[in-house]
Amino acid sequence: MEKKTEQYDVVIIGGGAAGLTAGIYCGRARLKTLIIEKSLMGGLATYTNEIENYPGFPDGSSGLELMELFHKQAKKFNVNFKMTDVKSVDFTSEVKVVETFRVRYEAKAVIVTSGGKPRLTNAKGEAEFLYDKGISFCATCDAAANTDKEIMVIGSGDAAIEEGIFLTKFAKKVHVSVMHDTGKMDCNEIAKADAMQNPKMSFIWNTVVEEFNGNGHLDTVVLRNLKTNELIPVPVDTCFIFIGYLPNTEIFKDVLPMTKAGYLVTNEKMETSIPGVFAAGDVRDKFLKQVATAVGDGAIAGYAAEKYIAESEMFEMQILNHGRPSLAYVYNAIDATSRAYLSVIEGFEHEHPDIKVSRIDVYKSDGLARRLGVSKLPSLVYINNNKIIRKIDDINDLSIQQIVE
Amino acid sequence: MKEYRLDCLGEACPIPLMKTEKKMMDLQVGDMLIVMIDHSCAMKNVPEWARTQGHNVDIEEVDDGEWEIFIEKVK
Repeated sequence: MEKKTEQYDVVIIGGGAAGLTAGIYCGRARLKTLIIEKSLMGGLATYTNEIENYPGFPDGSSGLELMELFHKQAKKFNVNFKMTDVKSVDFTSEVKVVETFRVRYEAKAVIVTSGGKPRLTNAKGEAEFLYDKGISFCATCDAAANTDKEIMVIGSGDAAIEEGIFLTKFAKKVHVSVMHDTGKMDCNEIAKADAMQNPKMSFIWNTVVEEFNGNGHLDTVVLRNLKTNELIPVPVDTCFIFIGYLPNTEIFKDVLPMTKAGYLVTNEKMETSIPGVFAAGDVRDKFLKQVATAVGDGAIAGYAAEKYIAESEMFEMQILNHGRPSLAYVYNAIDATSRAYLSVIEGFEHEHPDIKVSRIDVYKSDGLARRLGVSKLPSLVYINNNKIIRKIDDINDLSIQQIVE
Repeated sequence: MKEYRLDCLGEACPIPLMKTEKKMMDLQVGDMLIVMIDHSCAMKNVPEWARTQGHNVDIEEVDDGEWEIFIEKVK
């Protein structure tokens, strides 16, 4: 089957909190926007039973419900959605290419919000029992199927303990394997206090998973005590693993700069090293990975993509002026000196109808100034034959005349 | 190349995935299985499982909270 090609202004890879927020910003800016999500819209947040720290929801919300609202809002701004996985990307030319198994998408800008995936224990037998055979990463998905059963939770972070507490509403017993010493957990204090008081939860300290056993379906998790090396077989129906996440960045290897752990490196504008390619949310190398911070990242990336596209068009059409002479006045509108020269520029424009004059205000975005290599403001840049001929930052009536000579 | 439909509407995890795994064994390479689901939990494990098996997966949202998962058997 031959692949068809579709054009978009912005293609967003990943439909979690960051991607949906970026989509809302791009859609609202009337950009033709596509969000590609490999499975369920909402991303990792939909795995969370209760989100209590996302502002605006004082009574809390389930991750799924919250993400459905994000999705609904993005739909309202005419964002397009495609649910499949991205096979490859090509960011080597001005037009960025994102390929799925059926379609080749071309975009002016790409925002990578591919997020993370649950980390595995890599213990023996694990691969055999993934998904529906006894190992789960989603409490809300598999809680009901574990009614009155005995289960295990691996980990002691917020996800492990909070989801473990939720699971006690269904299961008759929740064993929690914690790698730390007795009483020490990685989660917040409220969750810890609740868990310690929960009669259905029992903690097995200083342990990690040695092996998963069963015949077709998991029936025993063998833990190993890190101090004594004692092996502890625990019969359970399901084992929930919450030991952190890994970034979804395999397809960006050797394409985008990333940390050793595989997180994408950006600046505070969510720009990667490739102009027009942005990254936002959990996939970024950053301090705190939460819905609240993904939303902030997504807003910045959406706005930055919009500015990038507008500036690319302005640069191509107006500043390069199809190879004909062009003068760019780069200034900051909040600076009085900068504003004072505007009348001088206007005078020049009247005297030189053959030269295209552009006024570039850096107040909201310095993208064009960077493309012109201008750091000192105000500055004048004279362009001819698609090349920068001269730049000056010492502006007066004489220098402005000289620049075009 | 045949097309099969698997109705998993109203079914919660892990039933849709168990039925999908079983049904995929009946398919020939190149055949397409369309799994109809309305429990979001199945959106998290059915596509993921199918991809780890090497199949091509595409999903359509046919209504709010209702999806069709297209699985093309490739090996």
